[in-house]
Amino acid sequence: MGNEKGYLALVLHAHLPFIKHPEYPDFLEEDWFYEAMVETYIPLLNVFENLTEEGTDFRLTMSLTPPLCNMMEDPLLIERFRHYLNQRVELSQKELNRTQGTEFEGVARMYFNKFRRYQDLFEHRYHGHVLEGFKKFQDMGKLEIITCCATHGYLPLMVHKESVNAQIKIAATDYRSRFGRNPRGIWLAECAYNPGDDKFLRDEGIRFFFTESHGILHGTPRPKYGIYAPVYCPQTGVAAFARDMESAQQVWSAESGYPGDPRYREFYRDLGYDLDYDYIKPYLHSDGVRRNIGMKYHKITGKVALNQKQAYDPYAAREVAAQHAGNFMFNRQKQIEYLSTLIDRKPLVVSMYDAELYGHWWYEGIDFLEYLFKKIYYDQDEIKLVTPSEYLEMYPQNQVVQPSMSSWGDKGYHDVWLNSGNDWIYRHLIKAAERMMELANKFPNAGGLLCRALNQAARELVLMQSSDWAFLMTTGTAKEYSTKRTKDHVKRFNELYEQIQGNRINEAYVYELELKDSIFQQIDYNVYSSAAKEAVLKKY
Amino acid sequence: MSQNLSSGSIKEPIVKDPAAEADIPAGYGKTESYLLPKDPAWLFLFWEITQNTLDCIKQQYPQETLNNARTIIRLHDVTEVALFDGSNSVCHYDMPVIFEARSWYINAPQTGRAYIADLGYLTADGQFILVSRSNQTILPPGHISNVIDDKWMIVEGDFQKLLKLAGADYIGLGASERMQVVGQRWKLTELTPSGAPSSWSSFSLHLDKVEDEDIWLKADCEIIIYGSASKNAIVSINGKDIELKEGKFSIRQHLPAGSVVDLPIHARNAKGDKTRHIQIKALREQGK
Repeated sequence: MGNEKGYLALVLHAHLPFIKHPEYPDFLEEDWFYEAMVETYIPLLNVFENLTEEGTDFRLTMSLTPPLCNMMEDPLLIERFRHYLNQRVELSQKELNRTQGTEFEGVARMYFNKFRRYQDLFEHRYHGHVLEGFKKFQDMGKLEIITCCATHGYLPLMVHKESVNAQIKIAATDYRSRFGRNPRGIWLAECAYNPGDDKFLRDEGIRFFFTESHGILHGTPRPKYGIYAPVYCPQTGVAAFARDMESAQQVWSAESGYPGDPRYREFYRDLGYDLDYDYIKPYLHSDGVRRNIGMKYHKITGKVALNQKQAYDPYAAREVAAQHAGNFMFNRQKQIEYLSTLIDRKPLVVSMYDAELYGHWWYEGIDFLEYLFKKIYYDQDEIKLVTPSEYLEMYPQNQVVQPSMSSWGDKGYHDVWLNSGNDWIYRHLIKAAERMMELANKFPNAGGLLCRALNQAARELVLMQSSDWAFLMTTGTAKEYSTKRTKDHVKRFNELYEQIQGNRINEAYVYELELKDSIFQQIDYNVYSSAAKEAVLKKY
Repeated sequence: MSQNLSSGSIKEPIVKDPAAEADIPAGYGKTESYLLPKDPAWLFLFWEITQNTLDCIKQQYPQETLNNARTIIRLHDVTEVALFDGSNSVCHYDMPVIFEARSWYINAPQTGRAYIADLGYLTADGQFILVSRSNQTILPPGHISNVIDDKWMIVEGDFQKLLKLAGADYIGLGASERMQVVGQRWKLTELTPSGAPSSWSSFSLHLDKVEDEDIWLKADCEIIIYGSASKNAIVSINGKDIELKEGKFSIRQHLPAGSVVDLPIHARNAKGDKTRHIQIKALREQGK
């Protein structure tokens, strides 16, 4: 420990549900992945590269969820992303000519430079595998990559602990295969914690997780340090870190959040709508419908109609991001200074965000992070960036508190994932889990086609358990897609169940599903056995 | 459901999915019920009751007994009950329900307790006939613990300051903003912005406007039962005694879409020889 007064742990949650449709040559919802790659994941790696090259030390904790890792390593999606990126480079190059001498010259140049740089990183530094990049920075000790529930399954609404065990075990196995070590931490999907689930974390060697602030504030007994130090769960000793609301609000607040600055990029004014149809058509989907293509030339400007937006100035916007980074750091310094007067150890502030907020939503959020890392490293010594693992090494003694059930969703519990708009799904999710346990208990040593069918049934189950579907049903966006995905996995699971129980497995059907729902190539259906669950519960 | 959800859906799947056209089953042919936690005050119960189960019960009891019985959810508080046998709960609460509803939101009487829900018949003479028993669910406390750890003591005033800093006064409130934004993220592919106000600029002024460019509407429903009774009367709603404040009472209950709430209100005088009865029934149709 040095002279710092306290610590800041920045945590980004990078996640997308598993979306891959090999049955179609071109599928709209896959864009969520390609957009996030080019706007968030690769730009973040670019920041890490820049910082490392110039000798700026930094610490960041990031979840890369198993579905996201599976997509990043999927040959078909890599190929399709390559095409997506090539098209951006091509279009931005054309744009250099078209915008020459106009007020958009600067922003067009920015896109061209960025896309080319990202293409260079993707192709030549990471050879198409961005996980190589993330792993590199983890191995350097700057980035702590944590895992998540296998398919972002919402644990408190899983009645069968076999399901909880499987979500954790499948995730940890996937993590080990990609990063060559145990995951030390986990981002529980939606920060949804249910007392006792920490037993399954402990069994996989996971030492910490994150909760919403009241997860710890409502814990028993009272947490001495509030949310400014982690607590240990009883029996397991797994640490829980709680989210700091003050730093969260600075970014999310409707009134005063940074991303609303008028000089930042306007999200909704997109070239996909602005340019001549014949010119832009090659860059649209095959149906030719105008949509966002991710290149935007205007700034928020103010509360004006989209056609009144003014030209975006990348240099001015970067300047604002730098100011906001300075403001964020200043507020953390003040916060930590004040906290130091209340508690008898160096306070820890845990700032947690969706990764895709940075870059995809808040375009300059990437610059903000880069400036924040630099300012913290060069301009002051009051606060120090840490990862949860580093903190636990410094402070191995922590209060034992049973955290409360909680989530980071609206109203703090399960309303978003359980309400009259989506509660119908649980009848099927829970039944499928029960049937999966039944199959795993019945066929402990399956081989050949039976084993493949059982493994595929497990894949269909975890895919239907993605909390994203229930979330989208609640927000009302992509409701049709999320409903269909839920039903598809329920139907596929039930069909496999009937085939297995009826001893009439159709290999062509299994093969087709293996292609479509190809997540977790190494899945082992035995994680659903009741014996596997009992073995964990017996230990703690 | 059609496969045409995506712009790219211009080619038939490689192999036709034999299950794709069948819709998902309404039930699975087994009598069972599951109880899920929603928040510190609410539980969600869903069930399936097969005709076979009902027929078995009909064979065991006289038709008249069942005809005069009410179908109820009996919510048992099983906090610290090691092995629940149907009769050893701390206490229980009955609420009328129709089996055909298949699911029900239950307002838990107390936060932080463990519950099991039994579905069954309550006969006129007070006998309970079990149809289905749920799993156990423990609700979160929903408040700061009163338990203090001797080894980790803190000055009360400082603890209150820490709570305030941590946002203990507005737990769960900031999250809706995040949800609005994250929800918007998914909307991109179906969005036609044509003159809509910008995301962040409009977002930072009016949260409501982010929801939809043209129009949106949200509504939910709670019912309030209120009334008054003579001094010293003992009033019960749905079999549970309630407290009168200056001779008045009121209770609130969530009324989810598609539900029927049946609330018998009884009053008796202190001697117990005179009673009054009012039946209130509310139906909320399953709207869109």
